Amino acid sequence: MRFMMLMIPQGYEKATPGTMPDADAVARMMKYNESLQKAGVLLALDGLHPPSMGARVTFAGGKPKVTDGPFAEAKEVLGGYWMIQVKSKEEAVEWASRCPASASETIEIRQVQEFSDFPSDVQKAAAGFVEIQAQSGRPTRS
Amino acid sequence: MRFMVLVKADKNSEAGVLPDAKILAAMGKYNEELVKAGVMLAGEGLHASSKGARVRFADGKTTVIDGPFTEAKELIAGFWMWQVKSKQEAIDWLKRAPFGGGTEIEIRQVFEPEDFGAEFTPELREQEDRIRAEIGRKR
Repeated sequence: MRFMMLMIPQGYEKATPGTMPDADAVARMMKYNESLQKAGVLLALDGLHPPSMGARVTFAGGKPKVTDGPFAEAKEVLGGYWMIQVKSKEEAVEWASRCPASASETIEIRQVQEFSDFPSDVQKAAAGFVEIQAQSGRPTRS
Repeated sequence: MRFMVLVKADKNSEAGVLPDAKILAAMGKYNEELVKAGVMLAGEGLHASSKGARVRFADGKTTVIDGPFTEAKELIAGFWMWQVKSKQEAIDWLKRAPFGGGTEIEIRQVFEPEDFGAEFTPELREQEDRIRAEIGRKR
């Protein structure tokens, strides 16, 4: 089963555009990332620029309304994520617990929905989604 | 540049209510357009936070709290990863999404190695490339 480990860094909701993570923290995190990869559990990972560089879109009455970041009311924001493949939630918690995170960081663990998790009528209605996922591109990296 | 498009949780997603056939069909069509345009890199839905956990870190010790996280206002129900040329292009795509009232989406730019500049040393970059190559093979 797949889990997302969502990194929630306290204070990141107020970070100014262009804020970068600390080089030492990145180096520590890269070691951890490598341990995930060597164990064969890592599927994907990314870091996110601060919300002050992002936007929110709401759909009240079906009409899109765009608000640029930062989001004054936000108390928690996402800083990055790992997608891992493990055998249980316990194993996901174990991996998260090994992360060299600081006291201001929380990792939220969430199970990813698999097609087989849905009842058959929903599977039928969503037929083609698996194909779409397979077709979706891969990041092009230099 | 890549953007992560975060779909916020609501009462239904947190209660484990699955979308109906009509919504699934509309979303399927939208996803197909994203793929055809070469925009969609990934897309996943998440189970309710009641099936999840949170890990907090303090003084080298960890505390595990099981879900649901009813106090959290910023829970996520799913996400897309998009490849676009600008934040505006991501917003334009999102405006076409078949969402009804009450849905809130957050768009966040993803860090690329070149964003880090000199801080991202050749050693770190080599390590990053190696990890990405390995997980690319796994997928």
